[in-house]
Amino acid sequence: MSHLAQAIRELGDSGPLRRMPRANLERIATVLVLGWAVGFMLWQGAGFTITLTTIFAIWAILAVSLNLVVGFTGLLSVGHIGFFGIGAYTMAILASDASYDRLRTESIPTPDWPFFAALPVCIAIAGLVALGVGVVFNRFRDDIFVLVSFGFAIIAFSFFLNLRELTRGAFGIHEIPRPAFGSWVLDGEIEFLIFALICLALVVLICWLIVTSSFGRVLTAIREDEEAIAVFGYRVTHFKLAVWVLSAMMAGLAGALLASWTSFIDPNSFILLESMLLIAIVILGGLATIWGSLLGAMAFVLLEEGMRFLPFLPPEFVGQARQVVLGVLLVLLMLFRPQGLVGRYKL
Amino acid sequence: MSVWSGRLDLSQFAERPRDLLALVLALAVAGYIAWAISQSPQQALQFTFNGLSVGAIYALLAIGFTLVYSTVWFFDLYYGAAAAIGAYGIFYLRSGEALGGLYQVNDPAVNVVFALVTAGVAWWAIREFYGRRLRERFGPGSALGVETLIAGGLGAYMGVVLAWPNDLNVLFAPAIGLAAAVLFTWMLRRTVARLVPRPTQSGVPVAAAIIGAALGVVCGVALAHAGGSRLYLSWVVSCLLAGMVGLAFYRGLYVQIIRRTNSRLIMLVASLGVLLALTALTIIVFESAPRPLPDVFGSTPWQVGGATIKGFNVFAIGVSIAAFIGLLLLLKKTAFGKSVRAIGDDEEVARVVGINTTLVIAIVFFIGAVFAALAGVLNGHDTAIQPRMGLIMLLKGWIASVVGGIGNLYGAIVGGFALGLIEQFGIWNLAGEWKDVVSFVVLILFLSFWPNGLLPRR
Repeated sequence: MSHLAQAIRELGDSGPLRRMPRANLERIATVLVLGWAVGFMLWQGAGFTITLTTIFAIWAILAVSLNLVVGFTGLLSVGHIGFFGIGAYTMAILASDASYDRLRTESIPTPDWPFFAALPVCIAIAGLVALGVGVVFNRFRDDIFVLVSFGFAIIAFSFFLNLRELTRGAFGIHEIPRPAFGSWVLDGEIEFLIFALICLALVVLICWLIVTSSFGRVLTAIREDEEAIAVFGYRVTHFKLAVWVLSAMMAGLAGALLASWTSFIDPNSFILLESMLLIAIVILGGLATIWGSLLGAMAFVLLEEGMRFLPFLPPEFVGQARQVVLGVLLVLLMLFRPQGLVGRYKL
Repeated sequence: MSVWSGRLDLSQFAERPRDLLALVLALAVAGYIAWAISQSPQQALQFTFNGLSVGAIYALLAIGFTLVYSTVWFFDLYYGAAAAIGAYGIFYLRSGEALGGLYQVNDPAVNVVFALVTAGVAWWAIREFYGRRLRERFGPGSALGVETLIAGGLGAYMGVVLAWPNDLNVLFAPAIGLAAAVLFTWMLRRTVARLVPRPTQSGVPVAAAIIGAALGVVCGVALAHAGGSRLYLSWVVSCLLAGMVGLAFYRGLYVQIIRRTNSRLIMLVASLGVLLALTALTIIVFESAPRPLPDVFGSTPWQVGGATIKGFNVFAIGVSIAAFIGLLLLLKKTAFGKSVRAIGDDEEVARVVGINTTLVIAIVFFIGAVFAALAGVLNGHDTAIQPRMGLIMLLKGWIASVVGGIGNLYGAIVGGFALGLIEQFGIWNLAGEWKDVVSFVVLILFLSFWPNGLLPRR
């Protein structure tokens, strides 16, 4: 008994996982996740692969943008899903062309904008809300920041559910159109996937530019020691606010993509638990690394979709089983590798 | 100060604009409440009753939360899962009775897991409390055997209780009977020893044992025939289980993480993982739809001054106040409480002066989880239960303890009732769905203007 405990203790203290250089683990993780993805695609065929990759693109935008805040700046935000939802609902309200008279349910205004007219508005509204929220949240730190970001997620969800004149509450919004260039509508799954991947590439590029610039280095310094960098004359609050707003705008973009892709949204996609899963992805992949977030998002999507094929798991429990696995992984990571798989920074 | 000296000096607010804003806000709140009362005193009374009923549950949550937080200084999100475990424990044990057994659940896997948890915690407790004595008497090998045997027996007993919850009172009758017999025997012997200065007859212990055993049997038989006691025995079992799971998480998991890091955020994320996994497991076992708990006493509303309040709610308020007083006595009057406070002040120093910090903190986690489970049970009987209630109850307890003043036990109970009242009065003109928004807005206002809460920790 005590030998076993001793072995576990050694594994955690100075064991292979804790000591393993980042580069090695990154290589192993990349090979594993990509191999898993390729195997899954070969097994399931093209149609499912396209769906899966689209889901991955949306989650990856969320994860990468959240990593800007959590990993690079050190603000553990659990409220990211709120901005995601704001983007999705803005797109839904502006672009939906559903006729509710025909459906004989509560009607909401349907301006019926085209996708590309609504997209900047989605991003801008997410950014504006983030600005307002950020001004208030800027003074909080560490675990109190976690608490208030929980609060933001719950308040946002409450608005989606209860502001029925605008969001139709639990009924959700139907018939959200796909992006269209003139008369060319991206109706096909593959066209939309390419569009989503372009968005993802843009987001990754922006994040990469941010973190490699002097701005990114200031963010890292804020994470390491806020007072020290303030002494050098940097306006810490401005930097934190800027990265918070940028990250929220990216989440808004992801939300707009989701709304347009599924063409129907309801508040259940934006519950607090989803936000906790998102933070689990970011920590799992690794803090302060863009590639890690991509890997984390990919592993997460594969995990959920892969579980659909487990023979002993009833389909209605797939989401829950995924949550159990993520929770256990989170605990194990905190135990054995607190910086996440390929992370550069420990919480 | 100048306000009280009769001369209102506004310049002090110019120096600290936040205080002015806080004053304005406080006045606005007071004005709003006065306006609400003048609108309809009857409705105001009703909202006060509702606020106190909800506040009792928040206070209970906040007390336990504060106890744990002010000892280890990190946020343990398992706390929310404990509330859900408490409520679902009742549902699990009594699902045969609620709604005619429509949603009856009895899963062997659950029984085995909780039996193992019980056995593990019992094993740990025996080793911590009696380990040395057992080793001295029997030698290390046999002591281990004895410990494992007792712990295994207790675990098996818990497994049996969980497997046949419909006969809970019968299953518990021997245990309660035995406990009563021991208690009565001990009391009799003490009484006799006090009345007769020097007991000359050696028959006294034997007689005491016989009478005690007889009384124990009576208690056991009475319990076995009292079917109504099942629900309240379920409360005990449920809270015990949640507490033991909390203890097991601390001793088995958190200790291992704390040994390697001193980061509060790592602990928070690890316990987030625990909460995620437990919430999902709850949904897998019980499905995600809300469920009712069986009827409890005091469900008929009383009319007081045109407003109604349920007897059960009054009971809940009483429980939270009693729990507060009990915890206060425990912390202020006992050696255990002293060591808890010492650990809260400085864990390193506490360890240096010879306090077994792991043991004390483990017990603190147990007590905290029991409080959360009790709050979950009371809330579940008042409304319905659902798997995600754990997270929301955790957040409410967290908010209440921030509002009251984080780390202060008096603040926790004040904050709990205050949050309940604020929430109810806040939705005066809104629909009830907005109460989560109200409580988080209150939290953010408090954190912005009174970061130390109503009653700051000294």
